[in-house]
Amino acid sequence: MMRIRWESIVFGISMLLAIPPAGVRAQEPRLGGRLPEAARTQVEEILNAARADGLPTDLLVTRALEGAAKGAPSQVIVAAVVRLREELRTARAALGETASPAELSAGASALRAGATADALARLRRLRPTQPLTVPAAVLADLVATGVPVDTAISAVLVLAANAGDADYVAFRRNVQRDVALGASPSAALGVRLRAVEDLASPGQSTGTARGPRRQKP
Amino acid sequence: MTEDDEAFVKVVDVLKEPVRIAPDLTIRVMAEIEQFPVPGAEPTPTPLRFAWARRRLTLRLSPLGALATAAGLAAVVLAGSRIAAPGETSGLQGAGEAAESMRPTQFVLVAPQAASVTVVGDFNDWNPSATPLASANGGGGGVWWVTVPLPPGRYRYAFVVDGTTWLADPEASAVEHEFGRPSSVVTIGGA
Repeated sequence: MMRIRWESIVFGISMLLAIPPAGVRAQEPRLGGRLPEAARTQVEEILNAARADGLPTDLLVTRALEGAAKGAPSQVIVAAVVRLREELRTARAALGETASPAELSAGASALRAGATADALARLRRLRPTQPLTVPAAVLADLVATGVPVDTAISAVLVLAANAGDADYVAFRRNVQRDVALGASPSAALGVRLRAVEDLASPGQSTGTARGPRRQKP
Repeated sequence: MTEDDEAFVKVVDVLKEPVRIAPDLTIRVMAEIEQFPVPGAEPTPTPLRFAWARRRLTLRLSPLGALATAAGLAAVVLAGSRIAAPGETSGLQGAGEAAESMRPTQFVLVAPQAASVTVVGDFNDWNPSATPLASANGGGGGVWWVTVPLPPGRYRYAFVVDGTTWLADPEASAVEHEFGRPSSVVTIGGA
């Protein structure tokens, strides 16, 4: 018979809880019942790799859930998650290790729209302490509106020094409205950019000190 | 051989016999020793209600029992790892931080013929039943809306009309049809 002291058992349990056994991987419960098993296994592996890289996995999970909700085939879902992981990785390299998940998400959208990692890095240098979520998202939205990528990048970078989030949102809305009224995307962006530059005087911010406001999608 | 020699031989023979030690001798000796105070240590009065916590317990396990115990502990650790997973994969923001920076965001769709409208998106795990839109008079007015508090971030979403028809938001930027059905995107600033 073996004799085991109670303290030894408590110590053993503590060590077991403190050190997860090798091979045990965290599982994302939200994927259960939503994805086919084969796709779920692959997505879990991608999540584990992203987790090891310090990337926000929630964005990857929701992308997989979007694919599942839309009835996409497994291989399409997995490919989309892989693609997003690479975009998040590139965005983080450009925006820095301290970039928030929201910034990374917007940065990934800008990259998908055609922006370069260098453009995101320049945006970060111009706004080292301000959130980049809205500027990067506006960049993606402008490209989606039809503005050429290089032109959209230039505009966002011109605005970066002085514009606040509200200014970026207003700028995008104005460009989209002009395009909806029949202007070419490039012409609309040029006109709106000149208007902003005309309003801004040296040393005076075009940014507004508005607080959080309701945003209508 | 003298008498003394014979007596000496007998004593030696007795001493050569193996000593028989009771099986519980160690336990009894250790129990006696543990009752002595530790040298140099101040005696600490133990409240009676906590006496059970200081009492030494000894479990006796057979090798099979030890194996079963180890298996049980491993199962507990495995279960704990799975439960801990969601916390590790923290989403857009931590709960406390998100609560502080929530922005009420209104989703509106004009759909006069619809009997029901829901919004699905990154904020509700694309669950078609999670966020139904309301209408002024049961859809007769055609304007459906819902307000969702969202932390800063960029969210993809779509409307689902009557449970089957997916629509992008005509008032918002569209995103590519990555999965064959339309989606829109909204950006909440601040982070």
